[in-house]
Amino acid sequence: MQHLRAIGQTGEVKRATAEEVRERIERIWEAMVNEKKEDVKTLGERLEIRKE
Amino acid sequence: KNWDDDEEEDEVDDTDDVDLEAEYAAWKLRELTRIKRDREAIEAAEKELEEIERRKNLTEDERR
Amino acid sequence: MANHRADEKRFLDERGSSGPLAPNGLNPATIMEKPVRERIIDCYFWKDQCFGVNEADIVDRVVHHVHFIGGTYGDAQRPSPFLCLAFKLLQLGPSDDILREYLEYGGEKFKYLRALALFYIRLTRQAKDVYRFLEPYFKDYRKLKRRVRTGTSLTYMDNFVDDLLVKERVCGTTLWKMPKREILEDDHNDPLEPRVSPLGDIEDLLESDVEEVEHQRDDSD
Repeated sequence: MQHLRAIGQTGEVKRATAEEVRERIERIWEAMVNEKKEDVKTLGERLEIRKE
Repeated sequence: KNWDDDEEEDEVDDTDDVDLEAEYAAWKLRELTRIKRDREAIEAAEKELEEIERRKNLTEDERR
Repeated sequence: MANHRADEKRFLDERGSSGPLAPNGLNPATIMEKPVRERIIDCYFWKDQCFGVNEADIVDRVVHHVHFIGGTYGDAQRPSPFLCLAFKLLQLGPSDDILREYLEYGGEKFKYLRALALFYIRLTRQAKDVYRFLEPYFKDYRKLKRRVRTGTSLTYMDNFVDDLLVKERVCGTTLWKMPKREILEDDHNDPLEPRVSPLGDIEDLLESDVEEVEHQRDDSD
């Protein structure tokens, strides 16, 4: 049932409110920013390693 | 990403804020061009109306 | 209100009959032409990414999968993820509040989300609201990739807004014919405010500036 719901086969999906839409935007944005930071960090780490 | 499987390597780069000044200048030109175009369209429509008015006011003789 | 049908079959079966109409009076299920609709529901992106999706999931789908605007592309006339998600919005019928989140808060961060909302609003809202929602984004000059049958090109958000207001067909969809701005400005009951350019009062600018900017451009080339 959970699976069916997930792929929409039940025909019912919970409507999102404007607040939920905003929260989602925030969440995705933060995830992207963090990912970028990670990238920079790993690049930094790689450079560190190269220096050694 | 199967729906993108025929994604070719294209040359188009949509990265923003590469050259802020140039991007702004290009936008300004587009904006002015649009405004000019819209204005000319309104002027043309007005002229057409005037012409119709003028013809309406002509006497039978003048119309011939 | 809390739940709504996400079953595409139902959405498609009921076209032309019982579904709620868009604010501009059109039936959302038939706003896109039939061959395009058929391509959409047949494509893998639709089947894999557009089921059981609500208004918040749309944000997720756009951010991760929409990297260009367009209708159908390539020799196979494959519907773009952009077009599939626009079709999904036609099915979901998001409120103005949600569209504002897409346009403004989300649109500042994710340009293709703004582009999608602009397109959807043009398809479903009344003429005055279309002008009111769309025109503020004449100031947005971010780049957009646009893919057509023959290839990919670059456009800009402000150009996309302009296309939506003046062209007959955008992204594989025939746009409903809106009354001209001037006519709506003359409406006595609820007149549309004249458009103010982000450049401010352009009376003086107009004569000299187009040539001036063009010159500057020539110089820099």
